[in-house]
Amino acid sequence: MTVKIVNLKVNGVDKALMAKPETTLLLALREHLGLMGAKRGCAQGACGSCTVLLDGDPVVSCLVPAVAVDGAEVGTVEGLADGRTLSDVQRAFVDGFATQCGFCTPGMIMSAEALLERNPDPTDDEINEAISGNVCRCTGYEPIVSAIRDAAATRRASAEARV
Amino acid sequence: MLTEVHVPDDVTAALSLMASGAKVMAGGTGLMPWLNDHASPPTELVCLRRVGLGTVQVSGTTARLGAATTLSQVERDASLGVLWPVVRSIASVPVRNLATVGGNLFARQPHGDLAVALIALGARVSVADQTGTREVSVEDLVAGEASVGLVTDVAFELPAPGDFKYVKAARRRFNSASIVTVAATITVTEGVVTRIVVGLGGVGPRAQRAKAVEAALLGEPLTAATVQAAAEAGLGEIAPMDDAYASAWYRTRVFPVHLRRALLGH
Repeated sequence: MTVKIVNLKVNGVDKALMAKPETTLLLALREHLGLMGAKRGCAQGACGSCTVLLDGDPVVSCLVPAVAVDGAEVGTVEGLADGRTLSDVQRAFVDGFATQCGFCTPGMIMSAEALLERNPDPTDDEINEAISGNVCRCTGYEPIVSAIRDAAATRRASAEARV
Repeated sequence: MLTEVHVPDDVTAALSLMASGAKVMAGGTGLMPWLNDHASPPTELVCLRRVGLGTVQVSGTTARLGAATTLSQVERDASLGVLWPVVRSIASVPVRNLATVGGNLFARQPHGDLAVALIALGARVSVADQTGTREVSVEDLVAGEASVGLVTDVAFELPAPGDFKYVKAARRRFNSASIVTVAATITVTEGVVTRIVVGLGGVGPRAQRAKAVEAALLGEPLTAATVQAAAEAGLGEIAPMDDAYASAWYRTRVFPVHLRRALLGH
């Protein structure tokens, strides 16, 4: 068994870790880098609680061997807030009561971030599709969809204000 | 357990590692869930992420997709609109960003809807091993009739507008495996079917071509009656299974409905 050095740029900061072959990207983030936002739910790619951005795209990090993504950029929920100021998506989740136990929330938020990056004004159908890989067993999905819709509106308004 | 994950830079190195016993992993969406959940024997993986098989080329009416092209790449490629409904019916966004075109050919039923579509499109794959490269049809590959090396690309002719049909019946609109999947490329000339290739999913242990359905429709007008007769002929070549998504009984009952919806649009 070979332990390899894996370099990642995590939330904009260069990180290096020693990864065994079975170290998934999720395990690397949680147990090597101490980033506990992404969760281990099913370890099957079915629940989405481990969703992070890999080179800008949301992926289920439980299915990615860390050594396979040496050199990649990774975005996690820990990288969203600016100090104590939440991102627009995080703020919308809090304000809209879109989180209860919170287990699915980091994955849900990363899927939402990826959606809004590509599509600033998504329809409810597009939001549903974007979070169809993220399972929530507490709140029901309505407050989550509303929060993403609200975050999109906030982001569009602040983009217009900057112009 | 995983004892090694090789990440070679080219196909030659990947083939050499395969020859020494390493298993191929493309997106990992099929293999990694199994490795995460099971006490597997010592396993070496050869990961295709960096071997350069992730490009799409469309020249004229021929599309050629590298085997490691992700389903999301297909979804974003303006020239592959014919496959958009297919890939969007598969899994979820964070899975489609990993899952690959080549990997989907080996997905177990009731997954593997892209394979169903590629059968209907008459697609062929290039299969490489250390002795060279050969071409086989997706139909034969999926049926297990072609020996497997490393699938390096998938090629097919883009159908004329409107000739490709696709319907997937599932438990939910997004992110669900198949109950019945029907894909077809069909040409109707002067009122009769002059060319038809039908692929089916969810109705057997593998994605399959439905030759009895094709034979029943070839040379016939495309009507509710002829499609119903074709579905009855097709019942003889399917072997649906019971699983968490649907019973074999249900799949058998609804297969004619979804064949009709695919071919007639209602």
